[in-house]
Amino acid sequence: MTPLSLQNRRAEADILWPLWLSVLGLMIISAMFIFSTTGGTEITRGVPWYQWTATRQVIAFGIGLFVVLGLSLVDYIRMARWAMVGYWVSIALLMAVHVLGTSRNGARRWLDLGPIQFQPSELAKLTFLFAMANFLARPSSELRSPSVFLKALMLTLLPLGLILKQPDLGSSLVFLPITLVMMLVAGVPQRFVIKLLGGAFLIVSLIAIDIFIAPENWRLIRLQNYQRERLLVYFNADFAPDSATPEQRQRATQRKRQMSWNVEQALISVGSGGFTGKGWREGTQHRLGYLPRLGAHNDFIFSVIAEERGFIGSVAVVTLYGIILFSGIKTAGESRDRLGRLLAIGVVTLFFVHIFVNIGMNIKLMPVTGIPLPLLSAGGTSVLCSLIAVGVLQNIHLYRKRY
Amino acid sequence: MLIFDQFNKGERPLRWMAGVVGAGLLLLLIGLLRVQIFGHHRFEQSLQTQSFQSVRVPALRGRILDRQGRECVGNVPRYRLDVYLETLSRDFTREYGLLRREVVAARGGTNISSPGLWERMMSKLRHDRPRVLIRPEENSLLWRQARYNVLSNVVSRVANKVGLPLTLTESELHRHWANSRALPLAVLKKLTPQQVSLLTEQSWSIRGISIELQAVRHYPHGPMAAHTLGYLVRADDFEGEEGESFDYRLRDYRGAAGLEAAFDTALRGTSGSKSILVNSDGYRVGETMTTAPVPGQNLITTLDIEVQKATESALSAVSGEERGAVVVLDVRNGDVLAVASAPSFDPGEWIDGISRARWTNYYDVPKRTPLINRATDGAYSPGSTFKIVTALAALENGLDPDRVQIVEANPSKPGKGLFQRGNIRIEDTAPPGPYDFRRAFIRSSNAYFIQLGLDAGYDRLLSTAHRFHFGEQTRIQLRPTEERSGWMPEPAEARAERWPQGRLANFSIGQEVTVTPLQLAVMVAAVANGGTVYYPRLVDRLESGDPLSEEAPSSIRPGQVRSRLETRPEYLARIRAAMRDDVLDPEGTGTSARVADYTVCGKTGTAEIKGNGVKDKVTWFASFAPFESPRYAVVVMVESGASGGRTCGPVAQKIYEHLRARDAGSGRPIALNSAP
Repeated sequence: MTPLSLQNRRAEADILWPLWLSVLGLMIISAMFIFSTTGGTEITRGVPWYQWTATRQVIAFGIGLFVVLGLSLVDYIRMARWAMVGYWVSIALLMAVHVLGTSRNGARRWLDLGPIQFQPSELAKLTFLFAMANFLARPSSELRSPSVFLKALMLTLLPLGLILKQPDLGSSLVFLPITLVMMLVAGVPQRFVIKLLGGAFLIVSLIAIDIFIAPENWRLIRLQNYQRERLLVYFNADFAPDSATPEQRQRATQRKRQMSWNVEQALISVGSGGFTGKGWREGTQHRLGYLPRLGAHNDFIFSVIAEERGFIGSVAVVTLYGIILFSGIKTAGESRDRLGRLLAIGVVTLFFVHIFVNIGMNIKLMPVTGIPLPLLSAGGTSVLCSLIAVGVLQNIHLYRKRY
Repeated sequence: MLIFDQFNKGERPLRWMAGVVGAGLLLLLIGLLRVQIFGHHRFEQSLQTQSFQSVRVPALRGRILDRQGRECVGNVPRYRLDVYLETLSRDFTREYGLLRREVVAARGGTNISSPGLWERMMSKLRHDRPRVLIRPEENSLLWRQARYNVLSNVVSRVANKVGLPLTLTESELHRHWANSRALPLAVLKKLTPQQVSLLTEQSWSIRGISIELQAVRHYPHGPMAAHTLGYLVRADDFEGEEGESFDYRLRDYRGAAGLEAAFDTALRGTSGSKSILVNSDGYRVGETMTTAPVPGQNLITTLDIEVQKATESALSAVSGEERGAVVVLDVRNGDVLAVASAPSFDPGEWIDGISRARWTNYYDVPKRTPLINRATDGAYSPGSTFKIVTALAALENGLDPDRVQIVEANPSKPGKGLFQRGNIRIEDTAPPGPYDFRRAFIRSSNAYFIQLGLDAGYDRLLSTAHRFHFGEQTRIQLRPTEERSGWMPEPAEARAERWPQGRLANFSIGQEVTVTPLQLAVMVAAVANGGTVYYPRLVDRLESGDPLSEEAPSSIRPGQVRSRLETRPEYLARIRAAMRDDVLDPEGTGTSARVADYTVCGKTGTAEIKGNGVKDKVTWFASFAPFESPRYAVVVMVESGASGGRTCGPVAQKIYEHLRARDAGSGRPIALNSAP
């Protein structure tokens, strides 16, 4: 039975309508609010319409959907055979970033490919997901062997470490919950999972010690100052070291107020939206430059939506994400093989972590990190990978009854 | 419902997963509910005020004082009239309302100007007038206009009070409003005390204005020592100076030359910062000083204002249009008592910026170049004053000063001597005849000294010059870019390139090589004090401007020895005696510098410069006094003068007159009143 004929016969049942309608809704919201944030300045600066950030985002959506359509011709089991190839390609790209990458804000995250800039860490999340699912899809008896567990661990730590070096703390820590959830679902024995949990806790606390307590020369992870300060702001910690002179301390206090001011501004944006919001393109926070100008259309897009469309808008966004997440879980449940289930769960976790951390940071629930909001934040690589991830869910659904 | 199906049939991990995701989304919704619904009012309010903008506040610049603590450069208060825009924001809105109504009326008027019957009937039915569309661009222009109307109203009322025409252009206002709305707008920058009192008496009726006091650089002696003290230029770019970013910077200055530039960091102090609380319209709500600025340190120089003034007036007596320089050193320790360079300029002019006309007509004139400090930044051929060096080299070479040498006559110029050997032929200005060392020195015989130079050779002559550190900067406490090293080749260079003897002949009488007036003064001082080459000292110390400060002043030790000549004292004594006779002996070239009851010792010089086909002269007088116990070295240089004796001698004479009266009359020694 060829996939195509199957699609013809059962087209209606096989397309995950709630999933795709939500994706469509998010894409429209994304284009609208990216335009609301950046369109004004771009028009006044005389940028031609085809170079607007919003237009680029729409193009990225188009390319993404096209890729998804292409990928739907191949079933996920055949795709998974290439998982390790994709994994190593991503690792190579991550290494290339350290050498050839362009830096913004002091972090090397982008590969410059002429007109577009490519962010390998986004791709790495996706390929890692495939590799991990493929690896854990082996019979559950094998999962009891410690060596398999260790290999899975290495699989996680390699990209995590490379991304941590960029430095991109937020994106690297995303790998931990994904591994954890996939292992749980795969049926890795509890003791291993507990070890992993302990290990993750250890890593996080080591990073915390590194950041908050270690003297400057001893730090292993050289976080950029702004990253450290973001975390310090979140935990309301003191900026100045204990040994600081009163003058330094005074400076540090001022710095802290400046830094926490940005976080506070995002919160004010969200809060001042109220129930119905100020109206599309009427938000004042990003317009007057209170939101970080570089971040308003990507990392802080949610606060723009929340300000201009209010509680109704933010609930709508959360609901759309909810539909995507639960469709994913449902797809995982329907899948008849372990690979499909693991893939679907991986995608759900990936999305959930991004959504929770990003929206959380806009309402001061989470520290500020550079984690984008899937499908909403401006950024081609992120959009492409998010759409492929959704496509994977569809693919699993499409080929679920192969047996 | 479809979505929740897996709760029933899914396996345990998936149920857990669904639970966690659901809980997470719920948490976000609760958070959003809290922030957007319950916290709405709080954030709405903070939207009004939650915004800090930091302003860099410059520190009070340190003063520059002379060796007795008299002020060379200080600060004076200046009154400025500011308008605070936030106090007028309501007027802006009201004026905008009026303007908008006018526009609407105008548009509505054109619409109804020729109404047909139908229109008239319809307009009666419609209880509203037709809506007029005002495009956003038009709207912002209306706001601009409204702000300008209100502001120019305020400004013209002030103008009436003060009796001054005040001009505020619309674009000026708009630039300020767009870029630094939270800061007051300065409408009048220099107010006289009378205007201040006028305004303070009556200004209560004008809303939004205030008089601000600022410190402005003040040069109480005008152009005195301008080159040494330097001047300031506006500086708005202190990038990363204190590792902080500011939204605004209040106007600050940077030293552009002289001591102001060399000690800029110490004089400037540490800027402070204040935070301005700004509301969502960008207007100021309040402000707090976060770090107070720390005033700059005072700089105590070794200059003496009175000597400096006497020196400058002596130099300006040459012609009033002269280009030249004078350096007065204390030969006992290298302290610089006065440095003059002409033409000069008034550093106070630079505070508000130099107009283009002033720049092209005064500063940017070729040859005049008033900004160049000729005493340190001008390198000139020393001419006959260099014979002091040639003499020392010859004496060390075993010259018998009493041996008589005959200078032959110049056949083409009767009464003048001539040096001729091989293909070297140099005309002399001194007459032919028999010369011993003393007579050759005071008549400045070129033929005699060329012979000495040739006998000594390149090695001895040039290395002697290098013992006085010619060809190197003196490292006076100015920026290295403001001091030239002059050109004094290394002996090795002459050897390696096999320079001809003719060049050595030129060197011996101070042609081709170049020196700065300051270098020459250091040289004369070394001859006068018995062979010690000092580092010239221009700065005594930096100390806190606050008299109660505990901070220890950082000082530069006086009398720092750079090197010693290591020569026989009788050679120097012989040269000093010859220098004395050059002034005292009626036959000498330097008689114009003679001062009654004060033995001035000197050497004149006139160097010929041929450049671009034009012949020009640099005239010199290098001297010290008194002969018995040398104290001062005075070097005078005038470009395009007549001759060293005629042009520079009288300048030195006037300076020595002052120095003599000063030492004898007041009995006050020229010493630093520094703390023990």
